Amino acid sequence: MSPFSFMRSAVAPVAFCVALAASALSTPALAANADPAAEKWVGDVSQQAIQIISDKSADRSAREAQFSALLDKTADMPRIAAFCLGQFLRTPTPPQKDEYVKLFNNFVVKVYVTRLSDYHDEKLTITGSQLKGDTQVLVQSQINFTNGREPVKVTWWLLKKDGGYKLFDVNVVGVWLAQEQRSAFTSVINNHNGDFSALLDHLKGQIADAEQGKLPPTAATTGGSSVQ
Amino acid sequence: MLIVALAACATRPDPSNKAAVQAYEETNDPVEPLNRYFFELNRFFDIILIKPVATWYQGVVPDPARNSIRHFLDNLDAPVILANDSLQGNWDRAGITVKRFGINTTVGVLGLFDPATGWGYPQHREDFGQTLATWGTPEGMYLFLPVLGPSPPRDLAGFAVDQFFDPLTYVYWNGPYTVPVTRFVLNGIDVRSRNLATLDQIERTSVDYYATVRSLYRQSRANEIANGDVSQESLPDIDNLNFDTNEPQAVAPKK
Repeated sequence: MSPFSFMRSAVAPVAFCVALAASALSTPALAANADPAAEKWVGDVSQQAIQIISDKSADRSAREAQFSALLDKTADMPRIAAFCLGQFLRTPTPPQKDEYVKLFNNFVVKVYVTRLSDYHDEKLTITGSQLKGDTQVLVQSQINFTNGREPVKVTWWLLKKDGGYKLFDVNVVGVWLAQEQRSAFTSVINNHNGDFSALLDHLKGQIADAEQGKLPPTAATTGGSSVQ
Repeated sequence: MLIVALAACATRPDPSNKAAVQAYEETNDPVEPLNRYFFELNRFFDIILIKPVATWYQGVVPDPARNSIRHFLDNLDAPVILANDSLQGNWDRAGITVKRFGINTTVGVLGLFDPATGWGYPQHREDFGQTLATWGTPEGMYLFLPVLGPSPPRDLAGFAVDQFFDPLTYVYWNGPYTVPVTRFVLNGIDVRSRNLATLDQIERTSVDYYATVRSLYRQSRANEIANGDVSQESLPDIDNLNFDTNEPQAVAPKK
């Protein structure tokens, strides 16, 4: 444990950006319970994400709108939003719930378009997949950096739904992003004595900050130049 | 200190509320108010001292020099990593650590360069906290200390034991302490300089920075302990999770 060892984990969100942003070409190794269709799906989705993020002709709000549409189509947003409430799933009143789901979508789009917007020419390679039960798949991939940085492992957790797939969570160097959000969300509610509106206020605050351009430029540049 | 710690205990939830109790135990942060105090204290020192120095370091020292410093410090960690590879019975990784140390100390000019990675022996990290975990020791409650940062009891004990695996501890046992202190400070500044933008961004995109760091620390520790294998078994059950279900809510199983 080095004094700043937790900071190593801080690279995760950045790497996630690169993961989403990176273009995908897959040569899957066939394992016993692999799911080649899911591997192809992850490749396609990450490709679409990169196209949206790297489209410099679109302005920020246009990129956000496209990214939001992609998330609606490919991610199980209601389930992720529900998961992030943890023990407080049944705390909100119906109007609060509706507001939360809207804010959550907006929050995720704002945060990840920001984190993604400094995409570099990195490459995402699908390395394998396993079925988890009948309804879920884990797809493994790896980002290889052009500057000799150690490759980063990214795992995609998919749900089979209506004959297709929906993204539930992404794991970057060991960190599940929805679990990270859940611990922050439940902590906010806990520290306001179970008051759900505190979470709504925090989300509104974050979204407003993002709209006023208070978010730092992007992390991928510095993350990309480091030796990890 | 003890009084502060006692006064700073988080309130336990009502025992009849099973979901709340389970969440409380999963969070396992009974001294959260104290931890948050130290967290803010560290942030304060970060803002007035560490971050400016790290920013200056990143701006002034050229990349190749900074990378050499990083490689040199990593190479000094080799004995500790080797000891823990061995204690975990992981002979393949112990072999890699030995080869890395041999190659980088000689071809890599006393560790200033890292040719070993290019030759198929990439860097990995081990510490006695991880070794204890592979022996079945639970992490214990979350503890955030000044200077050291996240230090739950298992990892704190591991950090202490690791000092005894480090030959340099004995070399500088009776001083002068300039060398170990320089090493500690330089490592901190280098790591901070590599995370300037990342941490900024996490801070500004988190609804609760403290809780986010806690989650990042725990998850990445679990990942280091598993040597990067993402296991299916530790995943929460999400099959029936949605706003309309009457199922008991999904809470992640204990790690």
